[in-house]
Amino acid sequence: MIVKKFKLPSDPYNIIITGVGGQGNVMASRVLSNMLVNRGFMITIGETFGASQRGGAVMSHIRVSSKGTWSPQIPKGKADVIIALEPIEAIRVLAAYGHPGVFVLANTRPVYPVGVITGELNYPSREEIKLSLQELSAQLWLIDATDQAIGLGNPILTNIIMIGAFAKLGKLPILLDDFIKVMEQTLTGDKLEINLKAFTLGMEALET
Amino acid sequence: MSKLLEVREGSCHLLMGNEAIARGALEAGINVAAAYPGTPSSEILENLAQVAKVRNLYVEWSTNEKVAMEVAAAASFAGLRSLCVMKQNGVNVASDFMLHLAGSGTRGGMVLVTCDDPGALSSVNEGESRHFARMIEVPLLEPGDFQEAKDMTRWAFELSEELRTLIMLRSVTRMSHASGNISMGKLQDQLRRAEFRYDGFILDPNEGPVLSAPVAYKHGLQQGKIEKARELFEQSPFNTYEGPEKPELLIITSSACTLYSREAIHLLNLGGRVGLLKLGTTWPLPPNLLKKYLTLTGTILIVEEVLPFLEENVKIIAAETAKEIGIKTFYGKNDGTIPMTGELSPDLVVSALSRILEIPYAAIDPAYEKKAQAAAFFKAPQRGLAFCPGCPHRASYWNIRNALTLDDRQGFVCGDIGCYTLDIFPGGANTLKTLHAMGSGTGVASGFGQLSPFGLDKPVMAVCGDSTFFHAAMPALVNAIHHRANITVVILDNSGTAMTGFQSHPGLCINAMGQEAPKVDIAKICAAMGAKVAVCDPFDLPETQKTLNRLMEDEVGVKVLILNQKCGLSPEKKAVKKYDVHVDENLCIGEDCGCNRLCTRIFRCPALLWDKEKEKARVDDVLCAGCGVCTGICPQAAIVKEVA
Amino acid sequence: MAHQIMGQKELKEQVQDAGLCTGCGACINLCPYQVFYHDRTIVLNPCDIKAGRCYAFCPRTPVDLQALHAHFFQESDLTPEIGPVKAFFIVRAADAEQRKQAQHGGTVSALMSLALQEGMIDTAIVAENQERFLHAGVAVQQPMEIWERGKSKFIVSPTVAEFNRAARSDAERIGVVATPCQAFALAKMRLKPELSSGDNPIDKLKLVIGLFCGFTLSWAKLLDLLHKKTGLDAITGMDVPPGKDVLEIYTEEGVLVFPMEDVQACIREACRYCIDTTAEYADLSVGSARLSGNWEESRSWNQVIVRTDVGMALMALARNSGTLEFHDVPTGNLEMLKKAAWEKKRTALKNLVEKSGSADDLIYLDARDRLLADLKY
Ligand SMILES: Cc1cc2nc3c(=O)[nH]c(=O)nc-3n(C[C@H](O)[C@H](O)[C@H](O)COP(=O)(O)OP(=O)(O)OC[C@H]3O[C@@H](n4cnc5c(N)ncnc54)[C@H](O)[C@@H]3O)c2cc1C
Ligand code: SF4
Ligand code: SF4
Repeated sequence: MIVKKFKLPSDPYNIIITGVGGQGNVMASRVLSNMLVNRGFMITIGETFGASQRGGAVMSHIRVSSKGTWSPQIPKGKADVIIALEPIEAIRVLAAYGHPGVFVLANTRPVYPVGVITGELNYPSREEIKLSLQELSAQLWLIDATDQAIGLGNPILTNIIMIGAFAKLGKLPILLDDFIKVMEQTLTGDKLEINLKAFTLGMEALET
Repeated sequence: MSKLLEVREGSCHLLMGNEAIARGALEAGINVAAAYPGTPSSEILENLAQVAKVRNLYVEWSTNEKVAMEVAAAASFAGLRSLCVMKQNGVNVASDFMLHLAGSGTRGGMVLVTCDDPGALSSVNEGESRHFARMIEVPLLEPGDFQEAKDMTRWAFELSEELRTLIMLRSVTRMSHASGNISMGKLQDQLRRAEFRYDGFILDPNEGPVLSAPVAYKHGLQQGKIEKARELFEQSPFNTYEGPEKPELLIITSSACTLYSREAIHLLNLGGRVGLLKLGTTWPLPPNLLKKYLTLTGTILIVEEVLPFLEENVKIIAAETAKEIGIKTFYGKNDGTIPMTGELSPDLVVSALSRILEIPYAAIDPAYEKKAQAAAFFKAPQRGLAFCPGCPHRASYWNIRNALTLDDRQGFVCGDIGCYTLDIFPGGANTLKTLHAMGSGTGVASGFGQLSPFGLDKPVMAVCGDSTFFHAAMPALVNAIHHRANITVVILDNSGTAMTGFQSHPGLCINAMGQEAPKVDIAKICAAMGAKVAVCDPFDLPETQKTLNRLMEDEVGVKVLILNQKCGLSPEKKAVKKYDVHVDENLCIGEDCGCNRLCTRIFRCPALLWDKEKEKARVDDVLCAGCGVCTGICPQAAIVKEVA
Repeated sequence: MAHQIMGQKELKEQVQDAGLCTGCGACINLCPYQVFYHDRTIVLNPCDIKAGRCYAFCPRTPVDLQALHAHFFQESDLTPEIGPVKAFFIVRAADAEQRKQAQHGGTVSALMSLALQEGMIDTAIVAENQERFLHAGVAVQQPMEIWERGKSKFIVSPTVAEFNRAARSDAERIGVVATPCQAFALAKMRLKPELSSGDNPIDKLKLVIGLFCGFTLSWAKLLDLLHKKTGLDAITGMDVPPGKDVLEIYTEEGVLVFPMEDVQACIREACRYCIDTTAEYADLSVGSARLSGNWEESRSWNQVIVRTDVGMALMALARNSGTLEFHDVPTGNLEMLKKAAWEKKRTALKNLVEKSGSADDLIYLDARDRLLADLKY
């Protein structure tokens, strides 16, 4: 597919990648954004990290535009897509940035908050999460990304699988080739190979 | 290859604000950069360190911000261009030197970049560094987007050389840690030679000694420089206006708030009614420029973070020119239209505009919002901050709390800034009872240690990180020792400035540029100062706790316990699991009397989970860092480790 | 008069914070939450179990004395002052050399050693003096190790904590030297075997040798009393010689003598509420002898109350093997002991009433208990 004059579904097109510290959220947003920059889009990314890396929720706001720079914080209720590396983080993000037309791609593997570990708080069941996400989105894809990543030999690949899935969604003109182009700048050999595999797995996850 | 080395002028790259600032400095041809790490500023120096060799720079992580500024100033005195970088509260540390530097003036271009953290996203304060510019009388710049972050940094060096003074460039978290497309400029090669002239006439700015005295004379010169800056700023391309010729309302703003304001105007579709004056040179303010735009309308909204700095300065100009521009209605922080604390967002600007202009706005459909809020409340349990799996601090605080409990005299801990601050959160042991600036734990403890004649009979402890030790704890420790304070200082040495991403410090044998460096030994320093020093591995729980109790019971003078264990996120550790850890379900007695979930209820490592169905503990392989500490706490020896 | 078993929180409120904790160690080594440090029981971490073993075993949580008596003793042996008495002896270890390692006649050490040698037990739990005059219970398997740990420790040493540990190890038959509160705790454990998880470790308890006990000292307060007169590690022993009204502290440099009125202030608070002088819940109990007023003569002898068949059997063994030397029991000796024990009970009840503020509220004891009825307080 050659994308000449691609018209964004909305401008800016707003993506939120959410997860928990240590899940590779920042890397995912960088990779995705670089793919889009190479396609000629103007990108603004806003990131929340720092202390929040230590067990807290981490969010990247990505604004894709053909016009210019936007606020690094997406306004409330204005997310177009939410990519969640941790399932309940999708729910949390929807409460602030969701609307009935939002698409949600969520990894299924929980990372339990301390309060849940101690028994003071409750973590919802897979079914409950699914119902909530369905109710609050236009379309939902639940992806066993971490399990697949473990299958590939490294759970950290979860983020790449999720990016692959998002690419397949077809909302933005990004393909495997764009991914390769970005990854080639920093990786070679086995490392590059395994990342490509992860990306492809993600794309396949959306087909089924 | 680092993007910062891109040579194609005009090529477009996605850069983080901090990378843009670093690139700006490279385009200005700096020779020297010095900083103390602190979120959200650290990536600037990190990026420069990466290209130090190629670009022929000297880059260092200094022991603290004051030293960083001194190191950078020396380069300026020798005619080179230099950069120093710090987070907001670092400016407080550097301010003593900065005051004198403003008096003495600079030679080679020198820029201070400060990254403030409105909303304290990764700080324990939301200090405003902008006031230092006015107080110390140096010019202040604030970039309004990523491109400007780069371009303004480059220009700041020229400005510094023109004015012969330090220039302060202020970023914020949402600028430093945000990214955008940036068009690259020309990389400048630095061909300057360092030469320090001091033999000339005492008042000669180029040849004489660099002094802040004679004070009245130098202070007068300094104010002249500010006057000149004011004039230059009238023409600055970094001050821009967008909007109608006759707006109903004028927003005056700077920094990331520019992006919020622009977005708010867009969301409310107010492009034809609201003007946006974006200021890049925020101290001293150019009065004629302001007069011009203030004349456009009677209603002004000032949008900024965190304190009303612009607001107050604009109001002074408005008052001074009231005869010409007429009476204005100001909205901003002082009248409560914009919150006085925390960070702003497009939504907060929207709500300010919709209130002033009486335009209703609902960000989210109320029915949807209600459902979504309920789901978040019931289905998304709060994520409290916690020490990472494998974190040495969890073990250290486990020992500290146990030792304090055993000691049974209601002892407490004075703390300061670093990952170890997380002790105050639900994932911690909650032993920290005071929390202030870098090194303050030791200083405050030194004070508590003098209060027993007045009836304070609780044992006093302080914690301090390895980097913090060099930064500001050393003088406090000397003070405590000299005055015989009865305290125990625990140095949590995790071999790096972990909180901010593993920058080197003098206790390591490597420097910012990756070269070998002499390691300054903390234990030897403490012993030489006269403290009683012990060293333990916090993962050895019984030994550490016993040592702590012994030190606490020794009532004479300052005791120092150094707890050595690398940070779980350190590059060396992150790559390898030392142990494979799992729970033997046959041995785990779960919630029965005899254990009652010690591991998940009390120890609280994020990688130790409680399986509700099986009523057994479980190790999450993905999260487990393999430190094996939990195997030592299980009363049933049900947590098993095998060398991985 | 069944009493509700509660949890750690109530144990802390009702016993530890109330100054009733004897330091027996019954709540220690059952779990990671209750630990012993110096001479105190510490809640290391909170536990939210509603009904815990710590509370159940503690000798200072509410208890039904009648049920205990009915379970352990024959009605006919019972005396109101000193519990059951099957026999009463004045004895000492036959070996004079070994006696030097003991507090008095070395009877306790000799009997424990004998029990080990005869296979009646395979592990003996005795008290050991450690650094800075702090003590701990330790499990030993050799007679020599028992003799090395002779002499009375006047700071509590939590032998029951060590029993809890040893009972969950390879040991199979365990004997314990216990002060009255410790013997009492062990009796409570025996009464509730269902609480000992798994293989019922309490069944491993085969012998309890009780020590007579007037009081123990608080470690911190003893430090104040010594007030740098001697270093803690220099102390070799102490005693309260009957009738002299002083505490003697033996050091390598000589004897330090403190008048009882000074020592009173150092007594562990919990001991003020203890009604047992003679370790009524032991198989046999041992104290110092009182022979015709001569302390130097008396101090190398012990008096022994035998309370159970196990105790009788051990004494028979000791006589037949020549382990112990027997002395005639002077007339009136048992009466004197009863009088002293009675006095302690009355004082304790008085103190409990004073603490609770009501004659009907005896805190851990039950005012309706028939066994307490005769004690006019
Ligand atoms: C705190 C205390 C108070 C006492 N008060 C009196 C009293 O008022 N009147 C009286 O007649 N006798 C009292 N005794 C008992 C007396 O001191 C002797 O222990 C007893 O006479 C036995 O002497 P022995 O020579 O057989 O002991 P030893 O052969 O020396 O054996 C004593 C055994 O008791 C163990 N032991 C020592 N201290 C403790 C302790 N605190 N807790 C548990 N085990 C311990 C030792 O490890 C050793 O195994 C008291 C003992 C203690 C520990
Ligand atoms: S209830 Fe059981 S687990 Fe809890 S403190 Fe008491 S003995 Fe320990
Ligand atoms: S008296 Fe014994 S069982 Fe009770 S709290 Fe104290 S040490 Fe524990």
